[in-house]
Amino acid sequence: MNFNCPRNEHLNRRSLLKSSLATASGASLMNWGGLFGSDSHAAEASKKNKHCILIWLNGGCSQFETFDMKIGRPTGGLFRDISTNTGESRVCELMPNIAQRMDKLAVIRSMKTSQIDHSGGIYLMHTGYQATAAVRFPEIGAIVAKYCGDAESDLPNFVKISSNGNAGAGIIGPRYSPFSLDKDGRLPTFSESRLAPPIEARRHGLRDFMEERYAKVHKAEPAKMYRESYDRARRLQNVRQAFDVDSQWEKYREKYGNSKLGRRLMTARCLVESGVSFVEVGQSGYDTHADNFEGHKSLVPTMDIGWAALLDDLGERGLLQDTLVVWMGEIGRTPRINNRSGRDHYVRSWSTALAGGGVKGGLIYGESDEDGIDVKDKPVTEGDFFGTVYTALGIDPLEENYAGVRPIPLAPFGHSVVEAILA
Amino acid sequence: MPQLNEFSQHDRRFRMMSFQFVAGLVCAVAIAASTMVAEADEFRGSIDQRIKAGWKANNVKSAGPATDAEFLRRVYLDLHGVIPTREGAAAFLDDASPEKRSKLIDALLEHPRFAIHQADVWDLIYFTRNPPGYGTDKRKGFQKWLREQFENDVPYNEWVRSILRAEGNTVKDGSPMFYVMYKSQPEDAAEAITQKFLGIQLQCARCHDHPFEEWKQTDFYGFAGFLSRLRVVDVGTVDKEKAYAIGEMNTGDVLFTGPVTEQKRGQKGEPVKPKFLGSDPLVEPKLPEGVKDPRNFPNGKQPPTPHFSRKNALADWVTNADNPYFARAAANRIWGQLMGKGIVHPVDNLSPANPPSHPELLDELSNGLAAHNFDLKWLIREIVNSRVYQLSASGENTEAMPLWFERARYRPLSAEELFESWLLAGGYHDARKASGKEPEDRFNVRGFTWDYMRRFFGRPNDGMGNFQGGMQEHLYLNNGQIHQLISKDKGSLYDHLATSESLMEDRVERLFLQVLSRRPEAEETEKFVAHLSPEDDQRNQIHEAIWTLMSCSEFRFNH
Repeated sequence: MNFNCPRNEHLNRRSLLKSSLATASGASLMNWGGLFGSDSHAAEASKKNKHCILIWLNGGCSQFETFDMKIGRPTGGLFRDISTNTGESRVCELMPNIAQRMDKLAVIRSMKTSQIDHSGGIYLMHTGYQATAAVRFPEIGAIVAKYCGDAESDLPNFVKISSNGNAGAGIIGPRYSPFSLDKDGRLPTFSESRLAPPIEARRHGLRDFMEERYAKVHKAEPAKMYRESYDRARRLQNVRQAFDVDSQWEKYREKYGNSKLGRRLMTARCLVESGVSFVEVGQSGYDTHADNFEGHKSLVPTMDIGWAALLDDLGERGLLQDTLVVWMGEIGRTPRINNRSGRDHYVRSWSTALAGGGVKGGLIYGESDEDGIDVKDKPVTEGDFFGTVYTALGIDPLEENYAGVRPIPLAPFGHSVVEAILA
Repeated sequence: MPQLNEFSQHDRRFRMMSFQFVAGLVCAVAIAASTMVAEADEFRGSIDQRIKAGWKANNVKSAGPATDAEFLRRVYLDLHGVIPTREGAAAFLDDASPEKRSKLIDALLEHPRFAIHQADVWDLIYFTRNPPGYGTDKRKGFQKWLREQFENDVPYNEWVRSILRAEGNTVKDGSPMFYVMYKSQPEDAAEAITQKFLGIQLQCARCHDHPFEEWKQTDFYGFAGFLSRLRVVDVGTVDKEKAYAIGEMNTGDVLFTGPVTEQKRGQKGEPVKPKFLGSDPLVEPKLPEGVKDPRNFPNGKQPPTPHFSRKNALADWVTNADNPYFARAAANRIWGQLMGKGIVHPVDNLSPANPPSHPELLDELSNGLAAHNFDLKWLIREIVNSRVYQLSASGENTEAMPLWFERARYRPLSAEELFESWLLAGGYHDARKASGKEPEDRFNVRGFTWDYMRRFFGRPNDGMGNFQGGMQEHLYLNNGQIHQLISKDKGSLYDHLATSESLMEDRVERLFLQVLSRRPEAEETEKFVAHLSPEDDQRNQIHEAIWTLMSCSEFRFNH
């Protein structure tokens, strides 16, 4: 299978239309043009052809065991630091591969966010907003799908692999809702049509006849969404091969570290290469209230090798300049080491990292104090963070969507974009 | 304080309503049943008047009346949670009587399916798809009990009181299951009770005094104070199922440590005495000297009743007809269930910051419900008999739930509604009957995995009524087990289409009646006759035709 083919060569709805016209025994087709919103801003961002891969560290990875070490301090922990390829920064010894790719990373050591528990933090760091009963905020994946995604692609534009977050597309609508693969990155149950294409087309023709009649009289939004989703499910059949990465895995297994996470990360690269605009890959187990050091020792090296391989792989294929790789969890961990050798939840000062399209490499932004208790310099809130990520992707963070009549900007009002990070 | 005004206004209105109702009763008894009918008409008529006034004030054009077929499917799904049988559909459509709609409504309300479906609806309101608490996902006892409340027309305030008093055990008596969700979590129980029974969102006041809402943190902890002495007790196995009871200690208070922002490490909280929401503190009798609580209630036996039950005091206060929130929350919920969205929407947030679209109508519905002894069936009957409920779903307006109720709403079918309607549509039951087999459990069909239905269709909306079905449900519809429900056995719809001697046109009519509860239009007949007639691949073509109608938009929504 050729994964290097440009995405306009993949089957898209035009070619599907052509094939349907040929095989649907004269059935009249729905008015496709009316199905897709023609939001000019969304169209403009799409042209930029940006992608985003989110590496989600579920439970909250420790900043002290990754990018913000406090060597020799009581909060410092057990691990040593090592030098990096930028010559200036030092990172945890658990990340020898990332240490050699620090020239590609913009690390934020001054995250200061507002939600300290998992559910609140997961919502916050997927949407940029605290959960409220009144507004269903969309996740970053849905936003990237809307503003960077190709509405005509047969592929879903927001894919999740073994990750968290349940806000989904919220107010921007199920058209951008996540498509979750199973935990190995394979297509979920019932993805495969077992009908021969002509039979499927015949069935579709009859169904389409009914849908078109219905749509003429019933204009309500849910029925329209339902038709769109049917269309997307059907078009997925054209691109099933994009999810079949077995042969690729044989080739890249060692490079990505021969782990489940490695396979998910490689799948993310394949999907981006096929044209998917947002892929979220999860790694779980960071909630180390007990045995923080053992926990990180077992998790970080796997992540380190997979993440480094992803950056290399994207770079070698010329994709890194258009793909923003975001590395974060919902929270950081406490400076204080508790009596179970654990670190608890902490959001007053913690770290995230960005790499690739739209951001500078070899940059450490912000600083925590001597013991990592508070941000000493240049705090970055969740609003600032999302504002920066969207800007890096070429999306205006002040772009608004509506909850009823209430305008909701992509990143919360009052945020400031961290210009220093942007390339 | 605005809510105090509302209190007294409500009180006055309530007393007037009660008076009118008592007067009405005397009349009804004294005069004749026909007066009752006239009064009932008046109520559903006033619903229409209020909604019409809203259209006029807002310059909104309403949809026309629903056709018989539209009304038929809608009212079956709303009252029974399932489409009509083809015989039922044909009989209704062919009935020329002008009162056929109200007659159908009366018949549906008295049918056993009514209790089954309403119990499904309320069970999910209380427990959601993934209830908190150990053992709460298996609650046949509760579900059976709830069904019985509807079967026996137990007034709403009475069955809610039973839920909150939680007497007996979860298997035999059922109702104690509600508290099992909130084992050792009085604060969570306080949030759930205020939200689900009173339409009040108290959760913000858990951590801070809310800037825009009237509730203070002390209100929240005062409410939780009624629940802090509850314990979930494992009372062993009853009828082969694990049973729990709710015990109540004689002592113990909720501790309040002040606003979270002012909290210090190691700070000890102050005990808070129970206080009725927006009202007085609870007056408790003094505990007799020398009463001491056990550390825990022993497993395996029903816990003793306390000297004074705070829980029961709360149950009585919540469900009291004078409680200004209780009837209002219920009336608004029932309206929302049938009309797509509440007069206050979302239905569980009756805050002053979230005003009703039709304040007078909400007052009338809630006063009416209280005056009719919390008879939900009365309220449902009035609403579905109104012209507003019987509007068409067609028109240019694209909203799923039009703001002024100017057109019928679109509601996705629940997993239960879809499944049972598919069984009926495909003729599954007919086929079983034809083969002489006993009917199976509701959701236990051989070769079919109910869990997938929960996964793909379990949350068709986002809790506020917004449809959120995506691509995944179509993968199921296109490629999943729905195909197994299209029975090919003798007696099934498939079998009829394949083997009947009757004209293909008549067979297509039966197909439409059985799946979409209406007759086909001429173009549809033509299209489907053409699709079903060729003999080279007829087996597949019949299957495709049934699947098409079972998976199309017209089937997916209640509209």
